[in-house]
Amino acid sequence: MKRIILLATLATLPINTLLAANYTIDPGHTYVSFAINHLGFSTMRGKFDRQSGSLRYDPASKSASVKIEIDATSIDTGHDKRDAHLQSPDFLNAAESPTITFESTAVQWNGDKLASVSGDLTILGVSKSVTLTVTSINCGKHPFNKKDVCGFDATGSIKRSDYGVNYGLPAIGEVLDLYIELEAFKN
Amino acid sequence: MVIFRLKPQLEPTLMEQILNRPEIQSAVAPFIVALLFSLGLKKVTASAWIWSIFAAFLIAASLINGLTLTPLTGTRKIILAVLGALVVSALAPGVIQRANLRRSLLVLLPMLAVLWVFWKVAMRMEITGIALFVTAAVGLVVALTWAFDRLTGDPASFHAAGFSLMLGTGLCATAAASALLGQLALSLSAASGAVLLAWVLFGNAVKSPHLSKSLTALPYILAPALFGIAAVLLARLPWYALIPLATIPAATSLVPGKIESRFFSALVQSIPGLVIALVVSFWVWQTGSSDSGY
Repeated sequence: MKRIILLATLATLPINTLLAANYTIDPGHTYVSFAINHLGFSTMRGKFDRQSGSLRYDPASKSASVKIEIDATSIDTGHDKRDAHLQSPDFLNAAESPTITFESTAVQWNGDKLASVSGDLTILGVSKSVTLTVTSINCGKHPFNKKDVCGFDATGSIKRSDYGVNYGLPAIGEVLDLYIELEAFKN
Repeated sequence: MVIFRLKPQLEPTLMEQILNRPEIQSAVAPFIVALLFSLGLKKVTASAWIWSIFAAFLIAASLINGLTLTPLTGTRKIILAVLGALVVSALAPGVIQRANLRRSLLVLLPMLAVLWVFWKVAMRMEITGIALFVTAAVGLVVALTWAFDRLTGDPASFHAAGFSLMLGTGLCATAAASALLGQLALSLSAASGAVLLAWVLFGNAVKSPHLSKSLTALPYILAPALFGIAAVLLARLPWYALIPLATIPAATSLVPGKIESRFFSALVQSIPGLVIALVVSFWVWQTGSSDSGY
């Protein structure tokens, strides 16, 4: 009887959910970075040093999803005082909202290649839909530990005012370009 | 793929450029608004000075933060709490006759505001951290209540202490890497300065009666407590910077004697608080001194 219930439950799941492989993000080879216009003169870059997450990816069934959690207190622009300011209520308010999340809601394929990932990016408790363009995917056996690994590069843009991060507008740029480069091991 | 944007897409108008300037938002605008309201309401209500600070802070907060309340961050809760405290103190002049009840409310109401604003951050602390946070908050509020209780008979020292305390809190918050908290606190300082100037110009016409029988000290206790704790918890203000700041109203109360001239009275009463505020702010600025990154 239990087997019947289990089979009936499994039958209700989408088939691609069952086929898709689960991966865990390797924090040591995952980089979430950003670029923003600085006072109209140049582009300032920064990154987050701590993130975690998981993804499902199966090109055969064209299914994929991703969830990334980024530690807002790990922001690093190579300048301690500026990093403290970026964590303050003027920008990320990291003491109150220590986690930035991205959770996919839809994926688009170009042939058998993952073309883009759309999802909800949550900053300061505000969730907005963002589409990340996938610029590179490579999967295979890791040469050293022999585990199955996939690497993804993706980019996108957000308007920080959409998340209530208004400090310094318009002098400090409103549009933030996001870059996510991640590696994930198959579970 | 990097998108270079050399100019903002829409050029702001001259008025927008003026209103976007921090010194306009946190000093000039609240000062002018508070002064105009003080003069305009001086014969209408005894609580003119409170409504003046309310109007000035409302304008400044809308310029600095915008009128949005979502997401309801700690900073936005502080704005609401300060506006609420001003309304409560304006609508309840002289209704609380019992000194003990008044003092209890002056401690209780700011503590409730502290818990409302910071519970989310406090819940992530270790139990010892929560105990230290609550103890420090209670100590700060009790010290401010005790000190302002001694000033309520004299508008010059009362507003001079409020002006200096908010100036010190605002400058320290700015130096500790939160311009948002700093600007908001400085706007209250500017408004208090305008109220003090209105008292210098018109004397008893803008003096609120029943200072010692109401909750009129509530905004001057609640606002620096909330902004000070926020600068510690949400930004990088060293907690011990709050200790000298908390002594400002007590130091103001030590100024002896009565001076006939309202101008010199306001000036003399302001000196101890201003000295403490500026010295502490300079020290906070120096301890965190390095290139700001901008």
